[in-house]
Amino acid sequence: MKIIKATGPEIFDIELEKDLLAKNKSLAKGNRRRFDSSNILAIDIMGSIGSGKTSLIKAILRKLRMGTKVAVIAGDLTTTIDAERIETEGARVIQVNTGKECHLDANLIRRAVGKMKLDGVEVLFIENVGNLICPGEFPLGAHKRLVVTSVTEGPYTLMKHPYIFREADIIVLNKIDLAKAMKVNPSQLEKDAYRINPQAPFIKVNALKGLGISKIIDALGLKP
Amino acid sequence: MHEFSIADAIVKNVLETAKKNKGKKVVSVLLEIGELTHLSGEQVSFWIKELFKDSVAEGAEVKVKTIKARIQCKGCGYKGGMGSDQEDSFLQVIPASCPRCNSFQIKIEKGRECILRRIQVLK
Repeated sequence: MKIIKATGPEIFDIELEKDLLAKNKSLAKGNRRRFDSSNILAIDIMGSIGSGKTSLIKAILRKLRMGTKVAVIAGDLTTTIDAERIETEGARVIQVNTGKECHLDANLIRRAVGKMKLDGVEVLFIENVGNLICPGEFPLGAHKRLVVTSVTEGPYTLMKHPYIFREADIIVLNKIDLAKAMKVNPSQLEKDAYRINPQAPFIKVNALKGLGISKIIDALGLKP
Repeated sequence: MHEFSIADAIVKNVLETAKKNKGKKVVSVLLEIGELTHLSGEQVSFWIKELFKDSVAEGAEVKVKTIKARIQCKGCGYKGGMGSDQEDSFLQVIPASCPRCNSFQIKIEKGRECILRRIQVLK
């Protein structure tokens, strides 16, 4: 009998069902366990470029006066400008350069934490890359997420980026002293914040002058 | 906005899987992207094809399926999609509020995934 066998290459289906964002979430959980086991409160600071993330961290450090009990991971594309600015406040600082990447992710934080001396550290600030879109999709494992916006970004930032503000535990409005010049009404921004995320406290500050910073410290549950 | 890094991760996964399964050539890749992620399917697939060049996956078809959002509103109890059925909805950031009562207090059940579902290889 003549048997005809199919020859040549055959196509095989390989089912994967791999969720690429889930990997970040599981690494973030690992980071959280690492922080918990060392009794470190980790705070992710997010906000757009120029909203005042570094200035806010500096102002908080100045008020906290905790010296090397505070550590900061400064995220930026390629420079060390932010880390140098924060270092002057006496905290331990490590710079994470993301290169071309628009956000920090849990894996970068895992690596940074592995390189840091964390003995005696009680609070860890993580300054995310300036961006209101991507960081929202990549939790890092921090206990609290704080989003900074500023009046110089105009009146529509919250309504344009509801996703990241909904993720926030605390919403900070910076550069409040410039509201009039920018023709921005802070009460309207507060209403927007309440609509998007009524649980998050909305705190108005002037980070450069240190105004309103103690309210943030309270909201974070820290004691100066 | 982070399409390149996601594409890079997908390409690594595809090439590793092909190697593990002794695939001589990758024919196609199926992705599923949730409409509530900030990922553009077109940009992801563009970068995947670029990164596939000079590999066993060069020229592979990249299919992207959108996973529709599914939410539960804590305000009015609405359960369902986000009302994003118009043709060009992919160009808009879908509002994060309930399509029925406009409340932002919603629980997202589906739509934030980015899944590498299946690849096809020639052995």
